Amino acid sequence: MILLGEFALWVALPVSIWGIVLAFVGGHRKRGDLVLSAERSVYAVFFLLCLTSLGIILAFVGEHYEYRYVWGYSSRELETYFKVTGLWAGQRGSLVFWVLLLALFSSIAVFQNRRRNREFMPSVVGVLLTITAFFLGVLLFADVNPFERLPFTPANGQGLNPQLQNYWMTIHPPTLYLGFTSFSVPFAFGVAALITGKTDSRWLVVTRRWTLLSWFFLTNGIIFGMRWAYEELGWGGYWFWDPVENASLLPWLTATAFLHSVMIQEHRGMLKMWNLSLVSLTFLLTIFATFLTRSGLIESVHSFAQNTRIAYIFLAFLGVATMACLLLILWRKDDLRAERTIESFLSRESAFLMNNLILLGSAFAVLWGTLFPLISEGVAGTKVAVGPAFFNRVNIPIGLVLLALTGIGPVIAWRKATRRNLERNFVSPLLMAAAVVAGLMIAGMRGFYALATFAICGFVLTILATEFWKGTRARARIEGEGLGRAFLHLIARNRRRWGGYIVHVGIVLMFAGFAGASFHTEIDRSVEPGDQIRAASPYGHEYVLTYQGLSSSRTPNMWQWVALMDVSRDGRRLGTITAEQRIYSTADQPIREVGIRSTPLEDVYVILAGVEDFEGAVLNESSAQGAVFQVLVRPLVGWIWYGGLVITLGSLIALWPGAGGPARRKVQATPASARLAKV
Amino acid sequence: MMIVLGAVLVAAAVVLYVVQPVFSGEKAPLVSLDEEFTEAEARRHLSLVALRDVEYDFATGKIDERDYRRLRDELAREALDALQEVRRSREQAEGRPPPAQDTVADDLEQEIAAYRAALRAGTLCDRCGSANAEVALFCAACGRRLESERGEEAAPAARS
Repeated sequence: MILLGEFALWVALPVSIWGIVLAFVGGHRKRGDLVLSAERSVYAVFFLLCLTSLGIILAFVGEHYEYRYVWGYSSRELETYFKVTGLWAGQRGSLVFWVLLLALFSSIAVFQNRRRNREFMPSVVGVLLTITAFFLGVLLFADVNPFERLPFTPANGQGLNPQLQNYWMTIHPPTLYLGFTSFSVPFAFGVAALITGKTDSRWLVVTRRWTLLSWFFLTNGIIFGMRWAYEELGWGGYWFWDPVENASLLPWLTATAFLHSVMIQEHRGMLKMWNLSLVSLTFLLTIFATFLTRSGLIESVHSFAQNTRIAYIFLAFLGVATMACLLLILWRKDDLRAERTIESFLSRESAFLMNNLILLGSAFAVLWGTLFPLISEGVAGTKVAVGPAFFNRVNIPIGLVLLALTGIGPVIAWRKATRRNLERNFVSPLLMAAAVVAGLMIAGMRGFYALATFAICGFVLTILATEFWKGTRARARIEGEGLGRAFLHLIARNRRRWGGYIVHVGIVLMFAGFAGASFHTEIDRSVEPGDQIRAASPYGHEYVLTYQGLSSSRTPNMWQWVALMDVSRDGRRLGTITAEQRIYSTADQPIREVGIRSTPLEDVYVILAGVEDFEGAVLNESSAQGAVFQVLVRPLVGWIWYGGLVITLGSLIALWPGAGGPARRKVQATPASARLAKV
Repeated sequence: MMIVLGAVLVAAAVVLYVVQPVFSGEKAPLVSLDEEFTEAEARRHLSLVALRDVEYDFATGKIDERDYRRLRDELAREALDALQEVRRSREQAEGRPPPAQDTVADDLEQEIAAYRAALRAGTLCDRCGSANAEVALFCAACGRRLESERGEEAAPAARS
């Protein structure tokens, strides 16, 4: 079965190349039989890649350490769950996983459009299979074949990096990959629109839901990654501006820009070329992100990969793809002219455009900071690391403007905002922002950025709440419904708008969580059992942590030292927190498992930074209980995760299939067209 | 041996499946079979979405009367143009000669009147969008039960 998987990988490449040729030739010569054959290759490749993935999983579960990949990422002691997820634990497997997901989405796209959008399909199939074939080629010819054998059969594997043995780490990469790969579909439709010259509205309608789906996965993937970093990396933060984190953020930024700018094209017929460019750019960035994660080109906490030959292959592909996109867009530039121009700076068009420019500016800054070490090494010969300080300095102001736009965008008028429009919509939110600042300053809060963030959060939330209230009230009045029912119907009837607003609410919550970081307290202390560590929370509480002692134990694949702390707040006992250090048999460095106690307002985060006498502690000697702790009180961290949930909810609402937009089938059916009668 | 057999079987099945259309001449359609998404329909769809948003924005005071009228006229004209094109291409497909411009407009007025009535009675089908008689319990076009949500999307501007 494993051999069959390997064989299937080799068959998949010629099948996909066959499909590429037939798709483009069939599309060009209008030969339905060739196109059908090409579409069948999409399904066939998916089937073959399922066999391949199954083969890899069976090699893991069956402990076949003669395969280099299995040997490198598994061991006999590893739980079966982590053996199955070994498929995406390392570079080789995750490339297979990537192309498997791509084949899955390609198959779905082909199946969905077996009767619709047929003019696009030859090119769509051609583009999707080209991407597939590229990844298959990399797998087979760039020294990353997951089925490569060692010259002998080791008795045991090297084991999985302990930091990857975490629940979030098993769902974070697949979610991100789902986001990366599903974006290939809107890209393929964009390219198909350029190739066929049908660059008007249709590809936007077709790709809207795909883009949203991809955005949904990307967003969740990024948040899962933050969660993993917070729980597992043991330094108390969730975002380090690490190159790989940045790599996942880049396509998110441009995809977000795209989701917004399509609305300008829909409403005002502007920005066609811009939208096509954004789709292409986002796709290129997903490839770039995959490349950055899996080439080990830049130092990173994620650098679990070290082959550099693959880097040049990826760079070549990126270069060719970029050129192809540019040429296609230039070729069709006459069809992409705007139907109208922006009339006023104070309008929703320009708010959207601002949002786009800012998102792209941020993407550029992040990209620059990520690549700077490489560029400096190439130009000056020394690798200059760019730390979080740079990214924070650039991105905090950008993020705040963006945050403000999540409130301004939804309510500012199309075309040209008048004074009355501005007064009507922005006076009370601005008053609210001022009230928030005043309240917080009276409560003793200082710090420009934090105050600004909370003020803007208040501003945006007021706008959004007013929106929801106005809509609900209007509906309740017109339909004679109760407020609760009217609210639900309001959302159900225009899911994109209201789902989008709910996402905005989630963003606000997340930003509030980020701002909380400026008030965190940290205490480092070396203690013996019975000693107390006191930590003040920014809300004025005092936490007292009493160290109870250390106990050590051994499991099949690690030693662990567990420290127990008793926690009380303002004299009231809350419970216990445990923090651990582990030494895995497969790694030399001790790994920290932190203890976290979460409340909606703040987290107490305990790190066992060191054990004074490891050996004594192993023997559980009473004299060897000294330990070093870092205790962090982190306000509002929970809001980031709540915000993430709200974003998920909002994007699911926007994604939910079925009626919710104007009816699509029959011209006359939509209520909106009924209103046309009045025109 | 089993492995070789399995591999041969997989390869043969895949190749046969993929290559078969080329020999048998079985064809994938090259133009859309569902009319749902012709270019004109997509344009109509988008202008209706935009129109709905403009109505909403006006109803909640985000745009002024003058801008509202102008935007609505623009979008409504786009929607109507697209609508007429959809009808023309449909009738062409059915082999009838394209109707004269004013007939289209007249028919449209009639149909729209019928739909407004259905809208008021809550008998618009939310699956296929057909208008049904006021007393209908099931959609005459697709058979779906009419849940009577009283008038689909609220059209605040139309009444306020």
